[in-house]
This record gives sequence, C-alpha cells and structure tokens, in this order.
Amino acid sequence: MLVTGLFLATGVLYTVACALYLAFMARGSENIGRWAGRSLIGAAVFHVAFLGADWAIAGNPPIGDIHRTLSLASLLSIVAYLAAGTRLRIAVLGGFITPVALLFLFGSALGRSVNHVPYEVRSVLLPVHISVNVLGVVAFTLAFAAALAYLIQEGLLRRKKLGGLFQRLPALDVLDSLGFRLVTIGFPLLTLGIITGALWAVRLDPTAPVFTTTQGFAILAWLVFAGVLLLRVAAGWRGRRAAIGTMVGYAFATAVLVGYMVNSTGAAAG
Amino acid sequence: MREIFVVGLSHHGTPIEIRERLSVATGSAAEEVRGLLESAPLAESVLLSTCNRVELYAASDEPIHASRAVRQYLESRADDAALGQYLYEHTGEDAVRHAFRVASSLDSMVVGEPQILGQVKSAYQAAESAGGLGTLLGRCFTRAFAVAKRVRTETEVAAGTVSISSIAIELAGKIFGDLSGRRAMLLGAGEMGEAAAKSLVGRGVRLVVVNRSPERAETLAKSLGAEAAPYEQLTTELTKADVVITSTASARFVITKSLMKDVMKARKRRPLFLIDIAVPRDIDPRAGDLGNVFLYDVDDLSEVAGVNLAARKRAADQAEGIVRAETENFEQWRRSLALSPTIKGLRERFLSIARAELERTLPRLDVSKHDQEILDAMVNAIVNKLLHRPMTELKHGANAPDAAHLIDATRRLFDLEERRSLPPPAPGNEGREGAQTDTPAIGELAAVSSGSRGENR
Repeated sequence: MLVTGLFLATGVLYTVACALYLAFMARGSENIGRWAGRSLIGAAVFHVAFLGADWAIAGNPPIGDIHRTLSLASLLSIVAYLAAGTRLRIAVLGGFITPVALLFLFGSALGRSVNHVPYEVRSVLLPVHISVNVLGVVAFTLAFAAALAYLIQEGLLRRKKLGGLFQRLPALDVLDSLGFRLVTIGFPLLTLGIITGALWAVRLDPTAPVFTTTQGFAILAWLVFAGVLLLRVAAGWRGRRAAIGTMVGYAFATAVLVGYMVNSTGAAAG
Repeated sequence: MREIFVVGLSHHGTPIEIRERLSVATGSAAEEVRGLLESAPLAESVLLSTCNRVELYAASDEPIHASRAVRQYLESRADDAALGQYLYEHTGEDAVRHAFRVASSLDSMVVGEPQILGQVKSAYQAAESAGGLGTLLGRCFTRAFAVAKRVRTETEVAAGTVSISSIAIELAGKIFGDLSGRRAMLLGAGEMGEAAAKSLVGRGVRLVVVNRSPERAETLAKSLGAEAAPYEQLTTELTKADVVITSTASARFVITKSLMKDVMKARKRRPLFLIDIAVPRDIDPRAGDLGNVFLYDVDDLSEVAGVNLAARKRAADQAEGIVRAETENFEQWRRSLALSPTIKGLRERFLSIARAELERTLPRLDVSKHDQEILDAMVNAIVNKLLHRPMTELKHGANAPDAAHLIDATRRLFDLEERRSLPPPAPGNEGREGAQTDTPAIGELAAVSSGSRGENR
C-alpha cells in the first residue's frame, strides 16, 4: 500500500513537472520554470522513497529486474539533469528529459519479475552489467535531450523563426558539445554493458543462441554511437548529423530496453 | 545669382574600383576643398567621400562653368577621362533634395544605416575649416542634419538597422555560445558591415578583413583593431572563420554555393554564420541550404529586428515625405533671398528712369530750388504709387509655388538683369548659348527657377 502510494505520488509529481516544463518551454515565464524545477525535485524525492521502500519490502536492490532497473534509470536521469541543469543553465531541457523519465516510470510499472538467479552461476558480472547499462542509459537519455533540442534550435535558426522558444533554448554549440560529451561518457558504458551481457549470457546458458533480437539492437546502438564518435573526430560530423545519429542510437538503445521488458514480462507470465 | 549643384558618383551604378580611385582620405578633405575653391569658380564647396560615394556639393555664381571645372577635377583625380559616364549631377532644388536624402540615409546602400550622418558632418566640418561654407551650402547642410534627425526620430527607417549589429551578435551567440576567441571575417567595406564587425571585436572576436584592395583592407583592419588578409586567401579565411560578414558592392555573388560546399568540406562542417549585409547580395541564398551554414541577409536581420518589409517601405515613404517638405522649405527660404534684390532692383530701375527723365527736363525749365524739390517729391510719389501693387504682389507671392515665375517675369519685364559677360560656351552647350540673346544671365534665371536649367525658356 505504502509502495503504491509512493509510486502514484511520484508519477503525479513527474506529470506535473513535465507539464510545467513544457509550458515553460512554450511560454517562457520564469515563474513556471521555477515551479517546474521544484516539482521535479519533489518527484525525485518521492521516487527515491518509493525505490527505498520497495527495496526494503522486496529484500533486494532495484537492479534485480528490468522494471525496477528502468525505474532507477529514470530517477538517475532526472538527478543527473538536476545536477547539471543548475550549472549549465539548461533548465529548458527539462521539457525533453521529464517526458522520457515519465515514460520510463510508467514502463517500469508495466510488470514485475524477479528473476531468481541460480546460486551456482551467481557472480559480480550481473550487477556490473546492470549498473553500467543503467548509467549508460542515463547518459544517452541526456544526450538525446540535447540532440533533440539541437535539432529544434537549428530548425528555428534556419527557418528564421526566432521567437521565445529560440530565446530559451541554449546555444547550438553548447547543445552540440554537451551531446558529444554525454555520448563519450555513454559509449564506454554501453561497450562494457554489451561485453558483460554477452559473458553473462554464456555463463547463464552456454547453449543459448548467440544472437537474439535484443542483442541485435544493442549491437546496432553500439555501431551508431561508435559512428557518431568516429565520424565526429575523423570527418567533422557535428551539429545536425551528430544530433540525428545520437537520436537514432538512442532509439536502438531504448529498443533493447523494450526488448528486455517484453522478454521478461513474457517469461514472468509464462 | 548663386546656385547649388552637386556632381558625384555612388554605389548606384559605379563599381567599387572607380569609387576607390576617387575616394578622399578623411584628413585631406579640407585640403581638397581649399584647392578647389582656388582653382574653380566656386563660391562654396563641400566634399563628401565615403566607401559608397564621392560627391562634390558646390554653390557658384557661374554654375555651368563651375560644374565643368568640378567634372574636370574629378576626372583628373580618378585619372580617367571616361569617368563622366558614372557622374550624376543635380542642380538647384534637386541638389538640395539629394543632400537631404543622403544625410538621412535614404540614398544609402542599407537604407537607414546610421553611419552616413557622421560622415556628412565630418565633410561639413572639413569644408568649414577650408572656408568652403557660405550662406547657401551652410544652410543646406545644417538643414540636412535637421532633416536626418527628423527622419530618425519621426520614422521607423532606422529602427531595423540600428539593431542589425546587435541582432547579428545575438544570433552569433545563439550559434556559438561564448564568442570570445572565435574568428570573424569582414569582406568588403560597407558601413553597416564595419559596424557589425566592430561590435564583434568588442565581444573578443578575432577579426580578419579581406578586401579586393589590399590598402583598403589594411586601413580598415587598422581602424577596427583587426588583421588584413589578401583577397586571394578568401577561401582559406572562409575555412577558418566562424562568422563572416559580407558587404561588398559586387553586382554578382562573391560567395557561391559551390564555393561554400568546398569550404564546408574543408572546415569539417564546423558551423558557419554568414551575414550578408550587401545590397545586392554577396552570397548565393542557396548556400544557406547547406548543413551547418546559417545565412542571414539584411532583410532577414531587419525582420528579426521586428521591422517587417512592409513597415520599412512605409517608413521610407514617410521619410521621403519629410525630405520633400523640407526641400520645399529650403526653396522658400532661397526664394526670399532672391526676392529682396528683385524688389530693390525694381525700385532702383523706376527711380533711375524717373530721375534721368527729370534731369533731362529740368534744364529746359526755369524752376526754383524749391520747385525742384517739389518735382522730386512728385516723381518719387509716382514711382511709389506705381510700384505699390507690384511690390505687395511680390512680397505676398514669394511663398507661392510659382514665385520663381513671378520673380522671373518681373526681372524680365523690367529688364533687371545685369548685363555681364557670359562664360565661354562649353562644348555641347550651343543651345544654351543661343538662348542667351533672349534670356540674359542664365545663372540668375536658373537660380530663381526651381531646379533644372532652361526650364523657364
């Protein structure tokens, strides 16, 4: 009951924050922006309480299954945004990040499956695998928000529509280098996640098929992000192309999450 | 009578190479004016030289003669006998209107740009120090400053352009974030481009000036605290720059789409902000379709500044209205100048005839000194009575639109022109010479007529 209440409160506060951020983006009133930030901090506090209570009741940390992991990822994205936002003056990016975090939160509520890992295969590999992937998702979520903001800002600049939204969005160069830095952080985490995941899969079941659809998406995401980084350094792919690449990579990365969720829900149901 | 005229050339139809050859360094304008006053039959003279125009305003008692001398002076300065094809000339009211339009920036490449007024003021000061200002030009230019002020405050003509620099800076900031340490390039030497470049330098941007003329690039770079680069390095500089401001007078695109394509490849697609302040444009608008290229021209910037094209057109019409009204005021003042000699002349003519007749008649009569005085008074009274109506008419009619005709008619009917020797005919002026027999003293008639010579014939 307590857990459900905390979850609902978290969800409501995220929704409020999300609406306020979108209103701030559209209207630009400083007041709305301040309240958006406050409600988001409130949402994060309830989110922490919810995950803590859940941990206490379930008896295992929130990386035990994909749903709670997703919930954790959304919380960390918000915390990272709140931490970076005050320093980088990118408050308006909340309008892009909160909706994604909200989706994650709802996704995490879709099912619940605690996979009891057989004692004989237990190793440090699994928590490492899940942790690096969560952090990777956080980095890519923020990179996605920066890339989306870049594309919108670039479009406004190109179409010479220099209204309020244009004024509130950060400079293109700020968004571009922010996205680049975040992809640079996310990419090694993703790489490590894929390697640990592959090792874990083999350890869990040496006879399992080497290549599943979910893994395929992970590889695609890896290739796209590798391309974004490599082409940026080698061929000067920056700005628009880098932003589109980041968003495509992020789409594949979320496809991996969706794949996991479908699989685990199916497994739990079966 | 003295007449104002202007001979010059500008960005309207004269290529920059020609303008450059004629342009006068800021410091030496006074010297030039002094020389001209000595060598040509000019009573007053103001020399205005900017990147976009070289114009000589003058007032002379012998306008035909003087305009020929001014043309010769300009041709010898440019060392080009074919300069004549570029020169325009306005006389009388047209010259005054031209001065008003130039000072209010209505004749500028970028209409409404604020720099021109300062340039006209320095030309005025240079002329003043060289003794080139008299009643006509002195008044003409002080009125021009007032007109410029009215246009600035009463219309929106300047609203867009004042902020073009600041809009350019703001946009650059929205593209590059922090501007300090960025690199900008100024191509061409238009006044607005200079202003925008200056404000970029103020933000810690490193500026490079590129110009077809190395000397001009050097001078401009020095005045802006920038470096100069030869024109051949245009592509290299485009590759290095973050912000490019173009304001050349080229009739064709200086930066084409294919050039931009190569440049973007060479600069590894780093974003590039292009500001095209030139009219006609220097940069092919299609270059703005390339990725990471942000191209804004004057119209875009003005529109961003909140002044749309229709409003600008309206403002320009309004400004032209001010200029028209002020030109009329000036003409009225000038006509009043023409009026007093006419009234004086008319009275003197009548009196001299009457006195001459009296003098001829008196010896044949035997009148006492006292009677002579009575006759004298009678003649004076006749003259006064005869002249009363014409004088009142003239005084009242001086402000009417056809005052010039009235004055002209009076002077012709009563033969008030001084019979003075006319200047030797200019080549191609035979028609004018023929007219001399019917209408003596072309200069005087033309001065009181409104505008072009020969209109009264």
